[in-house]
Amino acid sequence: MKFGDIFFDLSMRSVRLNFTRSMLAAIGIVIGVVAISSMGMLGTNMQLEVKEQLSSSANTIVITPDSVRMGAPGTAPSSSSNSAVTKTQLTKITSVVGQNGTVIPIYTTSSQFTINSLPGRGMVYGLDPADIPEFLTLNNTYGQGTTNLGVNEVLVGSAIASNFGVTVGDRIKIGSVTASSRPQLRIAGILNPRGTVADGVSTDNAIVVNSKWYTNQYGGKDEYNQVNIIVKDTDNIPDIESAVDAKINTNAKSPAIRIRDAESLLATTTSTLGTVTTFIMAIGGISLVVAAVSIFNVMMMSVNERIQEIGILLSIGTERGEVRRMFLYEAFILGLLGATIGGICSLLIGYSVVDSMIGTTQYFFMFDSIVYVPLGMAIGIVVCIISGVYPAWKASNMDPIDALRSE
Amino acid sequence: MTETPLIQLVGVTKTYHLESGDFTALKDVSLDIPENDFVAIMGPSGSGKSTMMNQLGLLDIPTSGTLCISGKDVSRMSNLERTHMRRDLIGYIFQKFYLIPLLSAYENVEYPLILKYKKRDTSGKAAELLARVGIDAGMSSHRPTQLSGGQQQRVAIARALVNDPKILLCDEPTGNLDRKTGLQIMDILCTLHNEGRTVILVTHDPKIAEYATRTIRLDDGQIVEES
Ligand SMILES: Nc1ncnc2c1ncn2[C@@H]1O[C@H](COP(=O)(O)OP(=O)(O)OP(=O)(O)O)[C@@H](O)[C@H]1O
Ligand SMILES: [Mg+2]
Repeated sequence: MKFGDIFFDLSMRSVRLNFTRSMLAAIGIVIGVVAISSMGMLGTNMQLEVKEQLSSSANTIVITPDSVRMGAPGTAPSSSSNSAVTKTQLTKITSVVGQNGTVIPIYTTSSQFTINSLPGRGMVYGLDPADIPEFLTLNNTYGQGTTNLGVNEVLVGSAIASNFGVTVGDRIKIGSVTASSRPQLRIAGILNPRGTVADGVSTDNAIVVNSKWYTNQYGGKDEYNQVNIIVKDTDNIPDIESAVDAKINTNAKSPAIRIRDAESLLATTTSTLGTVTTFIMAIGGISLVVAAVSIFNVMMMSVNERIQEIGILLSIGTERGEVRRMFLYEAFILGLLGATIGGICSLLIGYSVVDSMIGTTQYFFMFDSIVYVPLGMAIGIVVCIISGVYPAWKASNMDPIDALRSE
Repeated sequence: MTETPLIQLVGVTKTYHLESGDFTALKDVSLDIPENDFVAIMGPSGSGKSTMMNQLGLLDIPTSGTLCISGKDVSRMSNLERTHMRRDLIGYIFQKFYLIPLLSAYENVEYPLILKYKKRDTSGKAAELLARVGIDAGMSSHRPTQLSGGQQQRVAIARALVNDPKILLCDEPTGNLDRKTGLQIMDILCTLHNEGRTVILVTHDPKIAEYATRTIRLDDGQIVEES
């Protein structure tokens, strides 16, 4: 576009002449741009946040019983599926890992509890007190705690602590409110927040108990729900995983345990988030289709109102391509108008949505995230120009005499 | 002198295809118009005067017969070539002025220059022509709707002249003006003819036709009288 192009001026004046109508048509573009870019940014920010949180447990291999399993086609689902990692399996794992890491067997269940007569619900993790400092830390602002749990002592997660106003030394009753007898335990410490983690131990809304108390209470001694391996060198993760796999999953058709790590979890989470993001952006795309229709309408109105003017232009020597260009400029101006407003709105709306849904805007201005604003704007403008193609073509192919005659 | 005339029509016929059947608006018209001629075309309404002007102005091409302008057969030219010839060689003045409503008077005159040179005019030619047809600087920033009919027609003449066309086609240029204003416009056209331009003028008014050096009468799409 040349600066001072008369055709651009003409389009500009035409838009200005019908400003209200043009703005209304551009609203669709605004909405489409906002939908595409804020959803894109939200998805990206989620991915970056999840990545950051998962990377904090990048040194952990998570082993779970492979209990959810389909039988081979045509056969009944295997009945020998494991619901726990057994003591034999644990011994094998420990011997495979050797000096390369620490093996932490974990019991888990979910339970109701009561603190200061307030009921709640959360996960209960049964751990050997010696393993706790390997991956959990205490927040001593609630009072000096200890990870060296006695049988009747527990640690509670950060969310429980703040929601229930807990201090170290408070009592907690674990079990359903209706249960005849509910054991009462002493809170020996408050855990630091962990957020979303890849090691399967989400303690923020959980209670950590001594594994001895756990098996006394719930039974299932030596039947672990999960075994974590904290490795010394993350480079060894693939080797350790394949060694454990070879040792325990001897039947390839029906593996006994499932082995995951932060990286594999990240890969699946990222791809799931990616799919969701794409889907939501596609919905934003649908609003652009609606916008395209309204832009098309306004452009057709503009062409039909200006038939005589088009006749004049053609009759005094304007090339058909120049008439086409004039109307494409008009579509472009509408697109630019909508996209600019949409871009500004995306920044504002995107920022607040990311802030409220993810809780942090630290990734908002990173390239991968902010790039959705110009991307959304560009898509909006392109949609407008495409909507203008037929009206522009129609205008440029008019017969000048017929066009001049129309009133 | 056997020089080919500037405009030559040989057996030009124009047929409109309508749903109700074909309608022939020009029938086998043959005519030579040499350079610097001043021709008035007269005839009753519907006799095909505007149709003929549209052929001469390259807004349309004859159904049969040949029309040569500057020695070129227009039906053999491409659409773009015709557009360029219209832009550079022909100035068209209409009964209804047909100024571009979104442009000011000045911009309307500048417009054909922009079409030709693909840039804004810096030569001052548009302003010069506006002054020449009697539009002062204050008025040249007005939009067409803010001008009187006579003023609009003056602007239209300036616009038609700005690319120095050899041929001026005027389809009832005074038809929408009062007699006095019409005569002023005719004075301008006479001056342009005296400068060497070829002027072809459609009119219903015999007084106006007197300005021309010869008159052609059309009836029912045919030339019935030449004088
Ligand atoms: N585009 C068209 N389609 C069909 N018929 C047309 C078209 N243009 C002109 N005609 C017909 O051709 C005939 C000649 O029309 P034209 O406009 O040339 O008349 P005219 O001599 O200029 O008349 P007037 O003095 O009223 O301007 C008319 O009967 C008109 O109906
Ligand atoms: Mg006519």
